[in-house]
Amino acid sequence: MELRYLETGFNPAAFNMGLDEAILNAVAEGRQPPTLRFYGWKPRAVSIGYFQGIEDEVDGAACARLGVDIVRRVTGGGAVYHADELTYSIVLPEAHDLARGTILDSYKTICAGVVEGLRILGIAAEFAPLNDVVAEGKKLSGNAQTRKRSCLLQHGTVLLSVDVDEMFELLKVPSEKMKGKLIEDVKARVSSVSAMLCRDFGYKEALPAFREGFAKALSASLAAGEPSEAELDDARRLAIEKFGERSWVSKR
Amino acid sequence: MTGSYVGKAKGGKLIRLELSWTMDRIDALRLRGDFFAHPEDGFEAVEASLPGCLLTELGAAFARGIAERGVTVFGLLPEDLDDAAQAIVAAASG
Repeated sequence: MELRYLETGFNPAAFNMGLDEAILNAVAEGRQPPTLRFYGWKPRAVSIGYFQGIEDEVDGAACARLGVDIVRRVTGGGAVYHADELTYSIVLPEAHDLARGTILDSYKTICAGVVEGLRILGIAAEFAPLNDVVAEGKKLSGNAQTRKRSCLLQHGTVLLSVDVDEMFELLKVPSEKMKGKLIEDVKARVSSVSAMLCRDFGYKEALPAFREGFAKALSASLAAGEPSEAELDDARRLAIEKFGERSWVSKR
Repeated sequence: MTGSYVGKAKGGKLIRLELSWTMDRIDALRLRGDFFAHPEDGFEAVEASLPGCLLTELGAAFARGIAERGVTVFGLLPEDLDDAAQAIVAAASG
């Protein structure tokens, strides 16, 4: 089984979400094969889940002050601070072997790529339903999935390092009174590849490990390619007309 | 009357419910949180169908709606909406 493999580097949040959707459009229309993509975020960004409220979750003034993008995902789940991480997305037709079974089945199937990538790095991790990957009881990866146009899109993050205090400068919490305790809880529950390996571990080093991890776990050969011009045009259009639009960001 | 609720759902996720109601019937509702629903637009159709139902039947109406539209929800249970509505009404009643 073959997957197209893309490394698209670091881009702004609206473009990143636009390219994920552009790839979904291309796969849905049969213009491109099932695709695995790795990417990063520049500038850093906060993404919120489809059903979240921007005013509830994000300190817009802090993001503006620190030059952090804000975007709403097409997938559910919680707010994520995208800083030092490797992000992947995978787009498959719903009829594809890797997308078969229940939604939970497909989360587990695809997250196996993250688990295997971590194993290659010497970190024993496991899938934690519904949508996390954990090691030593701590979250290293969050994942989110949607199904549109008879395709599955799943994207997820692998935390390479994490600064919880910086994260909470940008994210709001339900109760300011409880903020200190919440920060301590998150520090106890979340880790990173760098923390697990006790050394700095960066994006460039992560790419080959997770490329191999996904190929092995999904039993896929990865055919390296580039996004087509049509996909890039669609991504730029979506970045402007959808993901960068206030009406989308403030949708709920 | 109006009110809002923020809390951890039994389904596992954080939910935020805003309600306005007259007598025992819901006039408007906004539901937000870090839950998942597939398909997302099916969930929104269910959400849009809830105004008009009785406060005491919010969870049942939600359950019926997602079943009818084939929506799969993770992290949020129908009873979470009943719990949230009860908390809102209790707070409004002083």
